[in-house]
Amino acid sequence: MQSGTTRTGAGSDGLGGRIRSALLTFVLILPAGAWYLVLLVAPLVIITIFSFGVRAKNGGYAPAFVLDNYGAILGDLDKAAPFTTSLSMAIAGTIGCLLVGLPLAYFIATRGGSRKGLFILLLVIPFWTSFLIRTYSWLIVLGPENLGGFVGDVIGDDSFRILGTPLAVLIGLVYGYLPLMVFPLYVTLERMDRTLVEASKDLGASRWATFRQVTLPIALPGLITGSILVFIPMMGEYVIPQILGYGRIYLVGNALVTDFLEARNWPAGSAKAVVLIAVMMFTVTFYTWFVNRGRRGREVSVL
Amino acid sequence: MAQRDLGEYLARISQNKVNRRSFLAASGLVGTSAFLAACSSSGSSGGASAAPAASAAPAASAAPAGDIEDSLFMYNWSEYINPDNIETYKAEFGVNTFQYDIFSNNEELIAKLQGGASGYDIAAPTAEYVPGMVEEGFLAKLDLSRIPNQKYIDPAFLGLDWDPTNEYQLPKDFGTTGILYREKLTGKPVESWRELYDLTLGEFSGKTVFVDSMGDVFVMPLKMLGYSLNSVDKAELEEARKILLDLAPHILSLDSDTYQVKLSSEEAALCLGWTGPLLELRANPDTADTAYSVPTEGSLFWLDTWVMMADAPHPNASYAWLDYIHRPEIQALETEYNGYATPSSEARKLVSQELLDDPAIFPPESVMPLLEGAVDTSGNNQRLDIWAEFKQKIGS
Repeated sequence: MQSGTTRTGAGSDGLGGRIRSALLTFVLILPAGAWYLVLLVAPLVIITIFSFGVRAKNGGYAPAFVLDNYGAILGDLDKAAPFTTSLSMAIAGTIGCLLVGLPLAYFIATRGGSRKGLFILLLVIPFWTSFLIRTYSWLIVLGPENLGGFVGDVIGDDSFRILGTPLAVLIGLVYGYLPLMVFPLYVTLERMDRTLVEASKDLGASRWATFRQVTLPIALPGLITGSILVFIPMMGEYVIPQILGYGRIYLVGNALVTDFLEARNWPAGSAKAVVLIAVMMFTVTFYTWFVNRGRRGREVSVL
Repeated sequence: MAQRDLGEYLARISQNKVNRRSFLAASGLVGTSAFLAACSSSGSSGGASAAPAASAAPAASAAPAGDIEDSLFMYNWSEYINPDNIETYKAEFGVNTFQYDIFSNNEELIAKLQGGASGYDIAAPTAEYVPGMVEEGFLAKLDLSRIPNQKYIDPAFLGLDWDPTNEYQLPKDFGTTGILYREKLTGKPVESWRELYDLTLGEFSGKTVFVDSMGDVFVMPLKMLGYSLNSVDKAELEEARKILLDLAPHILSLDSDTYQVKLSSEEAALCLGWTGPLLELRANPDTADTAYSVPTEGSLFWLDTWVMMADAPHPNASYAWLDYIHRPEIQALETEYNGYATPSSEARKLVSQELLDDPAIFPPESVMPLLEGAVDTSGNNQRLDIWAEFKQKIGS
């Protein structure tokens, strides 16, 4: 009945109806579109333009068209170091999130029972506190009087420390972004049809084979989403290396702060930001291609 | 134990006293907010942030020249003026509305002005930022005949590079960059950059913190070598680079925000830093051995200044303030309150001996001639490259 009226309405009104529906679509898309344009596209355009400029005499941006800002990053391997450090930290952090997040999401989704809501709540609660305060509290946990000193005592090395090392930054990254990995994984695993797992076992597959051939492919969309969600902010991370890394781990985020605030050289910073975006786009595209490769073919072969 | 520590951290974070010298810091929050401020105010909407203050102001033109308006809008560092002095000023000059807005670093102030903020009467930038502000046309030329009390300012602070003709700023407070150290751990005073260098490479490897501020870190190698801390000479900077790279692997942390925590936990014994957290450290019996020295080779002195905005809506109230704040007895109260040295030689006579003898507040007479003001060198690429290289080599 309903679909019938809609169709007749659209049909009989002809041109006017089509215009009206186009107008409606436009109005509905407007908020999201404006948001996208003003807050995403416009800043990207601005930093791209800035990246070809020069530093104004008193800092900031002065219009010009030079490639020096890119030349400085790409021409000197030493200056590319923050990018490679960031990339390796972000990849390690994403793997860390995956190693912790997958079992956790799997547990909550399949064994959570009536307490699923509680588990999810527990996962969310830390987010109610400022990110900065949570990061500062790791200073105490990992500090020389606590975990850092304890491990040092156990292995008998007084100079052992966690704070100020890449490990501390890694712990901070995994802790800080874990929920962004767990939620998408949880959603896909929660919807998983448990009978598929039973069927797999009935057909004689081992636990590992079941995981690899049934659970993992089903979880894959969540896994991809989660990985991208944690990877991207990790690439731009600034606060964690500053606090837990004691400023000893120099990432792109830190280089950007130096450019924008200390050197007040907005064009140089903008060029780094553009390169960072390019690196991320390449990495994310490659990653999605890599995990999806041959997937369609395999599905066909299953059929 | 751990809980007490957490309490301390949290108290510190929530207090977030950006009391003057924790600033230049490209610190997380401060840095980010300044950056955001810079971004937002480069757009057309930036002026709006200061606009409410401006719109509340009555039209200045209504008052005949010389009459003191009933409002004053100030843009300043937090907790930088003795509240008693504000109250006295308001009562004496009939200024009912005293607006005190806060910035946490010079970049924030400048970004806001560049975004077109108007409505402020006076502000307190650090001196090296004054020439840029003059160039941008933000500042009013001061009529010194309307500030008779400026005669009390020590001539040492007049005619300096950043304002050779003393027309655009009035010195407000000054202080130094130096060495903070735990005497209990070092066992002896650390009084020179050379000593800091030797100790960091030797006995106290991994126990030295530097503030995360390019201008301040460069002071150490350049002064140790006997050069100007503002040097942009290629060869001199190259020498400085070697020293910094020698030091880098031995440095515990680059930290402008919580170096006092590292000093108080004894994780660090030495720190190239500012005097801001010193009073707090010395007040605590556990860390009362914390000392400060202005290195004998000389160091940087910073000078905060009073400036008047070109479009100040209340020029008469501003002049009244500038003259009032430079009364010797008022200046003395300022120093007692904020713990920074006054540039007024007359006010100095009224400050307690204890403060006068404190090298963290008044640099000793012997190093005064060796102190150098900072010039804005942030546009020098060689310095930036060295700074980035140094940062990458920290702890490696």
